Amino acid sequence: MNLKDFYWKIVPALFFFSALVFSSCKKEETRVFDQTPDTRINEALTQYGSALTSSSAGWNATIKTGTGGIYHFHFRFNESNRVFMFADINLETASTAKESSYRLKALQTPALIFDTYSYLHILADPNGSVNGGADGQGLISDFEFGFDSLATDSILLTGRVHGTKLTLIKATQQDLDAWQNGAWANVVAFENINDIQNYFKRVNIGGVNYDLRVDPVARTIAFTWVDGSGNLQQFVTAYYYSSSGVVFETPFNAGSQTINGFDVVGWNAVNFTLTIRVNGAATTIAGAPQPLKVDLGAPQRWRDYALNNGALYWASLNGFTVNGVEDAFGINTLRTDTSQYFYLLYWPKPQGQTFDALAPTFLIPSQNALDLIYGIALTPNFLVDGRVVFSYLFDVVGTYPSTGPAALTRSQFLSAQGYYFIQTGPKTYDMVSAADAKAWITWQFPG
Amino acid sequence: MRFVKYYFLFLFGLTVLGSCKKEDALNVDDVSGLGGDTWVKTPLDQWLYDSLVVPYNIATKYKWDQFELELNKDLVPPDESKVIPVMSTVERVWINPYVLQGGVEFFKKYCPKLFVLVGSASFNLDGSITLGTAEGGRKIVLYELNDFKNKTMPGYVPADSAIPKQMFHVIHHEFGHILDQNIRRPVEFDAVCKGLYTADWINTNDYAARQDGFVTAYAESSPFEDFVEMISIMLIEGRSGFDNIVNSITGTSSRGTTADEAKARLRQKESLVVDYYKKAWSIDFYTLQTRVRTAIINEIY
Repeated sequence: MNLKDFYWKIVPALFFFSALVFSSCKKEETRVFDQTPDTRINEALTQYGSALTSSSAGWNATIKTGTGGIYHFHFRFNESNRVFMFADINLETASTAKESSYRLKALQTPALIFDTYSYLHILADPNGSVNGGADGQGLISDFEFGFDSLATDSILLTGRVHGTKLTLIKATQQDLDAWQNGAWANVVAFENINDIQNYFKRVNIGGVNYDLRVDPVARTIAFTWVDGSGNLQQFVTAYYYSSSGVVFETPFNAGSQTINGFDVVGWNAVNFTLTIRVNGAATTIAGAPQPLKVDLGAPQRWRDYALNNGALYWASLNGFTVNGVEDAFGINTLRTDTSQYFYLLYWPKPQGQTFDALAPTFLIPSQNALDLIYGIALTPNFLVDGRVVFSYLFDVVGTYPSTGPAALTRSQFLSAQGYYFIQTGPKTYDMVSAADAKAWITWQFPG
Repeated sequence: MRFVKYYFLFLFGLTVLGSCKKEDALNVDDVSGLGGDTWVKTPLDQWLYDSLVVPYNIATKYKWDQFELELNKDLVPPDESKVIPVMSTVERVWINPYVLQGGVEFFKKYCPKLFVLVGSASFNLDGSITLGTAEGGRKIVLYELNDFKNKTMPGYVPADSAIPKQMFHVIHHEFGHILDQNIRRPVEFDAVCKGLYTADWINTNDYAARQDGFVTAYAESSPFEDFVEMISIMLIEGRSGFDNIVNSITGTSSRGTTADEAKARLRQKESLVVDYYKKAWSIDFYTLQTRVRTAIINEIY
């Protein structure tokens, strides 16, 4: 084909073809919806916004975090992007309203964003010291939510990052009053139970004595009692708050009655007692110096566990709690020039020695290694009444300090009355002063 | 025949363009999310506008916007009550000294234009935390605002100085990058510690880095970072603080640098930084240093 043919034959053909292709784009525009996506999403946002601000008494909100806790909130939204909030997280959040900001925004879906710090963010805060969760994730919760559904009295939302479910139910004036007049704060005062100076928190329900162990971070409550044949029994449930009291996620079958929870009557800050009402009957939780029944074999079991599982040791992160104060001796403040306190260890027969050792360990950050700088050698004496008394032998590794947190820890440890042991899990024990149960230490097995 | 060729190509082009023409344009009057986020302004917004936008054209984003941040991190927005204390501190410790030394026009031209504020720290997988990051000379992210305290605030203890000090470090570091990117640092600077820069800086610490003549471990990563770490540390520690750092060096490093060599390198880099500020920006570094350090002392010591 010569050049002339090329232009006169091929090019017009191309032209004709391309005209066909491009003209084929021309269509009548047909829409599935009446409006454009932008119009529709703006309508949706407006609709959600007016729903949120329409409730003058605000909204009752419930959220279940990724770590399993159920929390209640009260939100009041106004039209100036401000939200006023209560929450049953702690005494402050339950009694003082906090103002922060919110906005609605079209992300992948229409979204409600609590965009400055509020009580809701306490749950999501990645700083573990804020909420008791793990550093980096907190309690695994959200503050950006996509709208799932909108009804007259309820709005369902899902967190955009962790998928946390948030339910909003339109509140009545009474609901708002329950927050404003302190009913919720009165209930949340339940967490003061751990201010009771004795380790054992005792309550009599229906003629039976129970020892309670409450973990306010994980929100679990454990009942321990002695059954008809004299054996120790235990029941553990997660709990959450209502405006009148504590609700068990799993009802407790207490023989003569089923306990779904209890009303909180009030905390007595003078006597350190908490009055509650169980199925209508009032009773009081108070400290006790002795366990209901001593677990006679526990001290020996505790020590043997370390010996039988790799000849490892038991570790305590925070040292002694004394009179309700965690780390009362400040063992976490121990420092050297190059290292800092990591945990306190109790090591039975370390590396084949004949004695047991108690020593704080130190982390050397630059080497990412643990170091022992000083410790003491001791002998445990197991008594038939279920106590263990430790007797001092000599210093090991280096010279043990004679003052400061380490010295205070040592002198408490060598208490002449010794300790009871309470097994709280497969690899956790609490060691409680037999003198008055006002000093205790939590051991966990690192292996 | 060339004429024909052009003719057809021209027509072809017309067809392409023409075929896009449609009768109904989409309604794009109100596209969601592209018009910027809006909310009812509060006194805090007004303060930020009056104090930072009007004089310096610096925007401050304190409301949550995930897309300004790392998507794989759990973070929370700041408490509103912390925004003014932090940004007014930034003004006293960073803006004012530079404006006084370099002039307001200089500052407006080169300052990063966006601060993004985060309430919590940013936790890394290795358990460490990040207290500040920056992007492209335009944006600086400050973390851990909710724990921010300066000495005018109730309950301030000396340990609280760590968070503001880290913020100052980040801001002066990033602004140093901007200056370096506009007028390059002297070539002599890169030669001072040539051969000692390493990607393994993460596994060292400030003490070991100083034995090699670096002011911080991060400075070991590249001459680029070394230069601005020098600027930042010299400014926030002050002249006597920097002297203390230099004089504290003892022993021989694991890479064979003696203490005297390390000290000499730091002194040489110090004089190159001072010289650079003078020649490139007509700023007397030591006066600037005194202003910054005095502001920091007033803030946290």
